[in-house]
Amino acid sequence: MFVQKTLTRNPKAELYYDLVELFSGFLLVGFLWTHMLFVATILLGSELFNNLSAGLDKYYLSYVGIPFIILVAFMHIFTAGRRVPTRYQEQKIIWRHAKMLKGTDTWVWVFQVITGVSIFMLGAIHVWVVVSGWPIQAMTSAERMHAFWWFYIILLILGEYHAGFGIYRQFVKWGWFPRKPIGYISKLITVIILSLGIAALFVFYTMAKGGGIV
Amino acid sequence: MSKRKLTFSIFRYKPQEPDAKPHMQTYQLEEEMGMTIFVALGRIREDQDPSLMFDFVCRAAICGSCAMIINGKPKLACKTLTRDLPSTITLMPLPVFKLIGDLSVDTGTWFRHMSLKTESWVHTSKKFDPKAIEEKMDNETALEIYEAERCVECGCCIAGCATANIREDFLGAAGINRVGRFMVDPRDERTGDDYFEVIGSDEGTFGCMALMACDDNCPMQLPLQMQLAFVRRKIAQAGLKAKTKVVTL
Ligand code: SF4
Ligand code: SF4
Ligand code: FES
Repeated sequence: MFVQKTLTRNPKAELYYDLVELFSGFLLVGFLWTHMLFVATILLGSELFNNLSAGLDKYYLSYVGIPFIILVAFMHIFTAGRRVPTRYQEQKIIWRHAKMLKGTDTWVWVFQVITGVSIFMLGAIHVWVVVSGWPIQAMTSAERMHAFWWFYIILLILGEYHAGFGIYRQFVKWGWFPRKPIGYISKLITVIILSLGIAALFVFYTMAKGGGIV
Repeated sequence: MSKRKLTFSIFRYKPQEPDAKPHMQTYQLEEEMGMTIFVALGRIREDQDPSLMFDFVCRAAICGSCAMIINGKPKLACKTLTRDLPSTITLMPLPVFKLIGDLSVDTGTWFRHMSLKTESWVHTSKKFDPKAIEEKMDNETALEIYEAERCVECGCCIAGCATANIREDFLGAAGINRVGRFMVDPRDERTGDDYFEVIGSDEGTFGCMALMACDDNCPMQLPLQMQLAFVRRKIAQAGLKAKTKVVTL
């Protein structure tokens, strides 16, 4: 019994943390996948892409959506990030442990942390660039992607990796489905979204190079 | 077929010796038919180095005392055949538990603490009547309880768990499995609130990050993923309903 702990104990705190981690994660995955589907409309022509962008603008979906997603992202960082060891010795224990065990799922988690931190930094840049070049237009996007295609490839792969495995891990954790099939399904979705993203990137890239609208 | 020569690289350290430093020591040994790690260790201790410390009791995967890290994975020494391993074998003691010396660790204290913490006994208000006929339990429930009870308290799931490696108070898969066992037992009168109080925190259910090292490494093949998830769902439900007792002054 410790006075400082007894006076501050909230028995439900860790339950809520866990649930916020779960739901913010789901929202972010949902957002990422819709975002990539929206981006992929460029495959069907830039007119559709521009109309979609304008439509989201007109009904203020972008103005509500972007701040909301940023808020959710921060909630996710705080709740999921609380697991990340901050002390050097703990970090070293985890690293040694993952190497020793060669357990795939332990490595997946280590990479979740690394990709998570990278997404936070790259994502912030991405949001800044897009918002400061408002509104979203096929041609401006194309120019951006022509110049910084490597940036978008990295962000895309990191994002998809983090989302795909994140969702797999939540299913495993809550046991809604057995481990193996969920692994396959989340990999499949990740591959689909990833190819859509890369295809869209390619279209933008050639668009900017050709200097014209398809 | 010529016999393989096995090279063992074994962790040596006796914390009670003042000048001792942890190091790896190598031994060589000829492989025998059906040799287990436990047999090999016995040979080494008999023929080469009587000071080597390691634990065993049953030699038949029942007592759980011979668990160690064999080529990077937590396993039972008496259940692991050398023929399933390459000719170089590295042995380390289990992490997380207190090191007694070399490969021997004290899992007993840890498991006793876990049993007390999870209150591993049937909580009932009924008076025991030794003359009465035993109450019946349906087969399905009995099997479910039995499945969780197969745990031999070897500690492989704890040693393999990254969370347990950095959080000393984490009860791990063995602890969460234990609670799951009482949750399905109809004789236990504990409510959701009671269970939530015991493991509804980062020490229990919510400390688990689902890294599944426990599920991968349990030598008794307990269905730990499903058990952990079952307890997590139950505890989350109970927690959302529970009346919290926050102390305010
Ligand atoms: S759950 Fe499995 S790995 Fe863990 S202590 Fe029990 S038998 Fe060993
Ligand atoms: S799932 Fe992972 S974090 Fe949870 S108890 Fe098992 S090894 Fe530990
Ligand atoms: S000696 Fe009993 S489990 Fe190995």
